[in-house]
Amino acid sequence: MSTPAVAVSLGGRRQKVVRGLLLTLCLSYVVVLLFAPFVGIVYTALKGGISAISETLGRTDVRHAYYLTAIITVLTVLFTTIFGIVVAWVLARDRFRGRAIMNALVDLPFAVSPVIVGLTAVLLFGRGGWFEPFFDARGIQIIFALPSMILVTAFICIPFVIRSVAPILDELGTDEEEAAITLGASPRQTFFRVTLPNIRWGLLYGTALATARSLGEVGAVLIVSGAIQGQTETVPLFILRALEERQEAAGYLIALSLAAMSILILLGIEFLKRRQEKERSL
Amino acid sequence: MSDQALTLGGSSAPSAPKTRGRRLAVPGAWGLRGTALLYLGAMVVLPLTAVVTRGVSAGFEGIKTAITAPAALDALKLTLATAAAATVINAFFGTLLAYVLVRYRFTGRALLGALVDLPFAIPTLVTGVMLVALYGPNSPVGDFLGNHGVHIAFAWPGILLALLFVTLPFIVRTVQPVLLEIDPAEEEASYVLGANGFTTFWRVTLPHLRPAIAGGALLTFARCLSEFGALVIISGNITGKTLTAPVYIFQLVSQFRYEEAAAISMVLFALSFVLVLITEYVLLGRRKSS
Amino acid sequence: MRISPAKRALGALVLTALLAAACGGSDDNGNTTTAAGAGDCPSPDPATPLTLTLAAYSTPREVYGKIIPAFQALWKEDHDDQQVIFQESYGGSTTQSQNVVNGFKADVVALSLAPDVDAIADAGLITHDWTDAPDKGMVSSSVVAFDVRPGNPKGLEDFDDLAQPGVEVLTPDPAQSGGARWNIVGAFGASLEGYAGGKKGDEAAAGELLKGIFSNVTVLDKSARDSIKNFETGNGDVAITYENEIRTAQDAGLEDEMVIPPATVLIENPVAVVDENVDEHCVRDVAEAFVDYLHTQEAKELYTTVGFLRSTDAAEAAKGSDDFPAIKDLFTVDDLGGWDTINDKVFGEPDGIFTKAFAEAQG
Repeated sequence: MSTPAVAVSLGGRRQKVVRGLLLTLCLSYVVVLLFAPFVGIVYTALKGGISAISETLGRTDVRHAYYLTAIITVLTVLFTTIFGIVVAWVLARDRFRGRAIMNALVDLPFAVSPVIVGLTAVLLFGRGGWFEPFFDARGIQIIFALPSMILVTAFICIPFVIRSVAPILDELGTDEEEAAITLGASPRQTFFRVTLPNIRWGLLYGTALATARSLGEVGAVLIVSGAIQGQTETVPLFILRALEERQEAAGYLIALSLAAMSILILLGIEFLKRRQEKERSL
Repeated sequence: MSDQALTLGGSSAPSAPKTRGRRLAVPGAWGLRGTALLYLGAMVVLPLTAVVTRGVSAGFEGIKTAITAPAALDALKLTLATAAAATVINAFFGTLLAYVLVRYRFTGRALLGALVDLPFAIPTLVTGVMLVALYGPNSPVGDFLGNHGVHIAFAWPGILLALLFVTLPFIVRTVQPVLLEIDPAEEEASYVLGANGFTTFWRVTLPHLRPAIAGGALLTFARCLSEFGALVIISGNITGKTLTAPVYIFQLVSQFRYEEAAAISMVLFALSFVLVLITEYVLLGRRKSS
Repeated sequence: MRISPAKRALGALVLTALLAAACGGSDDNGNTTTAAGAGDCPSPDPATPLTLTLAAYSTPREVYGKIIPAFQALWKEDHDDQQVIFQESYGGSTTQSQNVVNGFKADVVALSLAPDVDAIADAGLITHDWTDAPDKGMVSSSVVAFDVRPGNPKGLEDFDDLAQPGVEVLTPDPAQSGGARWNIVGAFGASLEGYAGGKKGDEAAAGELLKGIFSNVTVLDKSARDSIKNFETGNGDVAITYENEIRTAQDAGLEDEMVIPPATVLIENPVAVVDENVDEHCVRDVAEAFVDYLHTQEAKELYTTVGFLRSTDAAEAAKGSDDFPAIKDLFTVDDLGGWDTINDKVFGEPDGIFTKAFAEAQG
């Protein structure tokens, strides 16, 4: 962890024994729970060797799945970041009745299971849904197509940027921004030149979390997409199908790639967190 | 993938917000406020209203029937039981890990800290796949265990392992900041007065940690209630035995039984939401002032 | 000034991207999507690839994986190198059927049983008589069989063995899977034929048999493929499923054994073009060509060798061949009165023989 250890000095051999035991206990738990499964999937995924790997990665349906996941992730993160900044700003800076409700609304997506999110999309846009006549009349496909997949992923990612930016805005206060405006800057300039740089690490942190979450979304997308190969099959959906079609090696390999991408994002998050804390403590 | 990272990362001590009670200095407030309201209204309120509307459309009787169906009851009971078990286990190990990470110095401390964060990054589906790869019938480990009557994959231990994996970081991260802030002088005084490590921890340290542990535990529990990706792979989805509530809802939706799905969804997310609210506003007291 | 211009611009950008995704999302391969009829379709240009969306039941993935490339090659040859891109979706037959009815724009449906295609026709999406094709619209067939553990430790030979206490049975959910309904019809019909402990023509006995079997069912998976996969993870003593599903699993290395009961039903799988969608996507010609292809001898060979499916001719199917065991008493849905009768008598709400048996078994 980036946090420093605050050791309380204890003397004596018995303390060392206790310490050793506790450490062993911790490490064993983490190894059994986290490490061993990871090793398991690496082994099975790479068992087939390089040829199997390149064959799987060259498949059209695999490539399309990556492409689709990328599009959904980019659009979702963009959408929730932009509007997330707005909401964070309003939460931190604005005072109005109903602010507490808005605060609670931001927390709601955390409490909703992805399958419930999928259900809401079906109830809104599926056959018999509230908006179905509207879109059907215009020939716009929501369910079984990209828009619903983006919408459900976005719902799930709503809190990330908001919850990482709002506290920062809160702590920073408006002094710098007020100074800028006094000096003649327009609100837009103030935002881009003063606010944005101040929140950048928190913003990137929230964005990174949203990205990692979008990459792995399965429950909601499974419900709304129809998992049409080559059309609405994302990487997680491909993994599900690979397992159903007894293509374990391919499924594990792609799952491993997803884990690898996510771990890179994790490392990025760790790095950003240290930068954030370093800056905040300055 | 964790959703609670943000509420838990960052500083723990809420400093007095400098914008408290001040009017907005920037013009155009209503535009931004309106945008925020519209965004949350359309993206959060609207979908959940659709579920609640559909759920109550069957009336109270309909909701009761949906929830008391044997499959539903079993699913809800299993979900609550596994969530409780995972919470208790990770409360213990989470606190332990936090303590070890904060109080001890040892090689690999940074690595351990990073590993603890691993579940935040790994998609839940991949977690399920990893567990099947390790404990499924086609793996040496799974086969060995199976021959000795121990079934992990496609049975409740698999569910528990998946939940433990996914929620590991929560309590660690609520407890860590508090541990960091505790004045070491208290503990040192305790040792000076002759107490051993355990007594010190139990009598001096732990009381400080209780709200944080409780908060993390509630978040863990709420997170367990909604888990789908890992469980749909590892649990085997056997009605009455390993079928959890979210997967049951998924099955209902696949069967176009929307009213029942909505009814059970309402119950599930109401419970989770209340837990999240309690945690954030009462136990962690974070956004009360901001 | 309300919202800062920068934010407004960004918001507009995002909205535009979303709308573009919405409009382009239903077809991102260059096909013209029109809400109007076939008259609006542009004349075919060999340089533009055509996209065909196939909704199939869960079992024939492997065989369509071979049939589709064969068809693509054929089309390419006959149409100036024009490419046909296939987008396949596999799932429980009844779920797929419902999905198409609810807006999944499949051009061709390859489902497990005729009623699932009829459901799409009843919704107005299929406007031609799809049974007016060779073999009444059927392209492949199989039989209901049992997947048992190596060595058949419980000695399961016929449907009534599955109703014995202590036997755990896997069969999919009839609300989602076509295979599930075939399984029920198989048990029902076998009893009516005088097998499986039943008496010829005794419907009450058939109902008892169903009740007994479903008292032993531990889980109802959402598709035939899910059901057999579940069995492979070690659950249950027997999975009732398609013969070709078991053969496919064995071909993939599974050590399970297959038991074909003496009397079983001929599973007949239909394929049909979905008129409304092919006209909207302007792919009628290639869709009809594909369905025609599925009735050819070449396709039949692929169905048999890759898919382990039997001949669409009932007599041939019963006789079997070198690769397929003969069936003692192979009956068809027509022998039982046709799907309309069966849907009413067996699956009707609330008095269908199966409906009642299931309620009693679970209650």
